[in-house]
Amino acid sequence: MMPRGSPLLMPVNPVFIWVTLLLAFALNLIPMGRTGAVPDLLAVALVFWNVHQPRRVGVGVAFAFGVFMDVHQGALLGQHALAYTLLSYSAIAVHRRLLWFTVGSQAVQILPLFIAAHVVSLLVRLIAGAGFPGWTLVVAPLMEATLWPVVTFLLLAPQRRAPDRDKNRPL
Amino acid sequence: MPLVTLDRSPPPFFKQGPSAFTRLMFFSALAIFLMVADARWRVTQPLRAVAATVLHPLQSVMLAPQSWWAEAGHYMSGLQEARHAQLAAQKQAADQSERVMRVDQLVRENARLRELLSLRPRIEVHSLAAEVLYDSPDPFTRKVVIDQGSSHGVVLGSPVIDESGVLGQVTRVYPLTAEVTLVTDKDAAVPVVNSRTRQRGVAYGTPQVLGMELRFMAGNADVQVGDELQTSGLDGIYPAGLPVARVAKVDRRADSAFARIVLVPRSQPDNSRHVLLLQPVSDQLPERPGEASAMAASAPASAASHHVKAESSAHAGHRANTARAAASVAASGAKP
Repeated sequence: MMPRGSPLLMPVNPVFIWVTLLLAFALNLIPMGRTGAVPDLLAVALVFWNVHQPRRVGVGVAFAFGVFMDVHQGALLGQHALAYTLLSYSAIAVHRRLLWFTVGSQAVQILPLFIAAHVVSLLVRLIAGAGFPGWTLVVAPLMEATLWPVVTFLLLAPQRRAPDRDKNRPL
Repeated sequence: MPLVTLDRSPPPFFKQGPSAFTRLMFFSALAIFLMVADARWRVTQPLRAVAATVLHPLQSVMLAPQSWWAEAGHYMSGLQEARHAQLAAQKQAADQSERVMRVDQLVRENARLRELLSLRPRIEVHSLAAEVLYDSPDPFTRKVVIDQGSSHGVVLGSPVIDESGVLGQVTRVYPLTAEVTLVTDKDAAVPVVNSRTRQRGVAYGTPQVLGMELRFMAGNADVQVGDELQTSGLDGIYPAGLPVARVAKVDRRADSAFARIVLVPRSQPDNSRHVLLLQPVSDQLPERPGEASAMAASAPASAASHHVKAESSAHAGHRANTARAAASVAASGAKP
């Protein structure tokens, strides 16, 4: 079943999924300074594919990417892995309901997931003995939710192409 | 017409593998296991090293935008600034050459005097130049990643300095890179000595305030704003006499036995580009006395020294520093 009026999508290309995930990961590796306010693009991409293709991108993928993020950041090993695992599970749990809403409402509904992921990271580090890094942390989940419509547009674009190209629909 | 809009493989009805909830439980448990293994048992270093080596090519590619940005900045700043910088550097070199010559002479004189007094020769420190690749993005810590690793001969626990003072200490070594915990990190501690009064203390990192703090100094201790703090060399990690910080504020409170002393690091923890790695001093010190002589000493003292030794051999990190420095502070406090 799908919402009335939504376009019929082409099947997804698995190569495209992996390329976008790797690209999001690579963008996360760009050094942006030490601040909590940088949105985690990998988390957004993971949630997107968890929502749209839960059979292809699951909890295990999120966990593996999380471990690599931990190594890159020099953070506690398992911190991002746990956050991404929970994020991915919640995304899979809401995926049937979420796609019935418009993209804007989806962003609002996905916001608590991102907040929860950041809170889990924060709690883990506070338990492990780190200091509170400041309130700039709040900005990151807000920016991630704001990116949701952009990511939806970009990552669904290949599936929105016409099945049979002709002169009127070159793409 | 081919049915290109349909996924050719329909979802299997019955064979869907473990449910998402089962996977959540499994991977959460695995993540928590990893955290405990990392934070408590410290056994995950091989896994980290493998992952870091796999990541290294991608990381170095993604550093390119940052270096382009820096290049563009340099290009824009232009010739004029370069001329100024060159003149300033020449002036500085001229200022320093006189001192360098005198230092050379003093070193020789010192060696002769030490020979005369039949003291042990001072320890020479070997160094390794490195470049800071990026600030670790983890907002909970203050760390940087440098471009030298165990394959270049970096050892765990090496002190790191920049051109103006102590920057931090190597706390994690990968094959091609290494992580340096800055002196402003919450867990960093540097044993220092006040160069004016020769009073010893321990400077701790405080990321929230100006950078560092001199803790456990008595409320009436002789510390003034502007005092220079150097490494004391008692910890077996940092060589003695490196500039660490300057006292920025002394807050003597009636409700506390200790003064609150805020320090500004001499190095630039957030702007350093080229750094120097020093060999930990303990590598060149003679072996600690064996277990037998430790046993001969009084029981609590031997227990304490054993604890410190075990800690330092385990990870040579700042905890050992703290423990030894605290011990030295206690010793100096006990002396009248």
